[in-house]
Amino acid sequence: MRRSTAAAVGTLTGAALIVGVRLSVSVPEAPVAAPPAPAANEQPASNGEAGAADKPSTKPTGKAPAEKKPAEDEGKFKNGTFKADAKYVYGTISLSLKVTGGKIASVQAGYPTANDSGTINPPAIEALKAATLEAQSADVDAVSGATLTSEAYLKGLQAALDKAAK
Amino acid sequence: MRHVEQVMGTAVSIEASSEAWIADVVAWLHEVDARFSTYKDDSEVNRFQRREVDAASLSPDMRHVLDKCAELWKFTGGYFDAYAAGPLDPSGYVKGWSVEVASRRLVSAGSERHFINAGGDIRAVGGPWRVGVRHPWEADKLCWVLAVTDGAVATSGVYERGAHVWNPRLGAPATGLRSVTVTGPDLAVADAYATAALAMGEPGIAWLATLVADGYESAVVTDDARAFTSDGFPLAS
Repeated sequence: MRRSTAAAVGTLTGAALIVGVRLSVSVPEAPVAAPPAPAANEQPASNGEAGAADKPSTKPTGKAPAEKKPAEDEGKFKNGTFKADAKYVYGTISLSLKVTGGKIASVQAGYPTANDSGTINPPAIEALKAATLEAQSADVDAVSGATLTSEAYLKGLQAALDKAAK
Repeated sequence: MRHVEQVMGTAVSIEASSEAWIADVVAWLHEVDARFSTYKDDSEVNRFQRREVDAASLSPDMRHVLDKCAELWKFTGGYFDAYAAGPLDPSGYVKGWSVEVASRRLVSAGSERHFINAGGDIRAVGGPWRVGVRHPWEADKLCWVLAVTDGAVATSGVYERGAHVWNPRLGAPATGLRSVTVTGPDLAVADAYATAALAMGEPGIAWLATLVADGYESAVVTDDARAFTSDGFPLAS
């Protein structure tokens, strides 16, 4: 039991690294503090915000601190799905790790479940549906876009539409 | 008839059926620019920033804008931030708000059909108007066409100024999303939501999905060209 907890802690630390959160993982029942990951604690995310973990990265390097504990079986981690809350400076994100064959198969991180304002996290977490991105020309009245300057406007479709307008 | 006015650092296209109405919109937008421009030394925003105006003597418009910026800052968990660049710069709210107000003024004056497009942020009334969303890589192409009868379409993207949308929480440029479009009843709000989602990066997709309940639909294109839309995103048939 203890061993598996340690494995989970190690795993979670690994996950937090992947997630790129300024982390301090807290797993209350774990007797050991999160294994040291000094660089990680300082490092801002390289791939975005906490929840960038929406896109699970699956490149655990095997150098996860869990190595310090005897391996349970073939892999470095105990098979199963592990869940925990990773606290970081702006809130808490739920992490879910799936380990198969002793290796991390996937890492999922939800949106922060608690934060300073307490208003950003409605319970329903539902991503928008995948859509196709295809260039099209069409007969339109106006164009919405990130046109920030007058110069950009001049080169844009809206300028052409305005010229064509009566 | 169509009029294009250079104001607030961008081009504003106004489609309305009377010259007087267009003139009213133009006058209002210049009034807003004079009050809120961070580029004009004597604007109220800059005087407030320099503490030459105290909070008690702010104009009602300025008070409104500051209140709304604070409200949106809170609602977006800090991702919409009028102080992101350091000094107060509420222009991310002011542009959408000023167009929203202009559109309401037109309606009050009797206009049943018009649209105002301020640098890609649109408020339309009395359509159906066909509104294209600019393709995030091909400036002369669209990626979606919407049918808008009465509402707002706001797009924020990194393609015009590079990856310079700030993620205020990371203290680093936002990454992950290339373009975010939000539709809904109020342009000021839609615009702020689009900006906030862009700053969030990919988690912004899940966040946008939670806004559907309030009537704000959205479409997103990620840096790696994946596209997402909410169910009610008003695509033209």
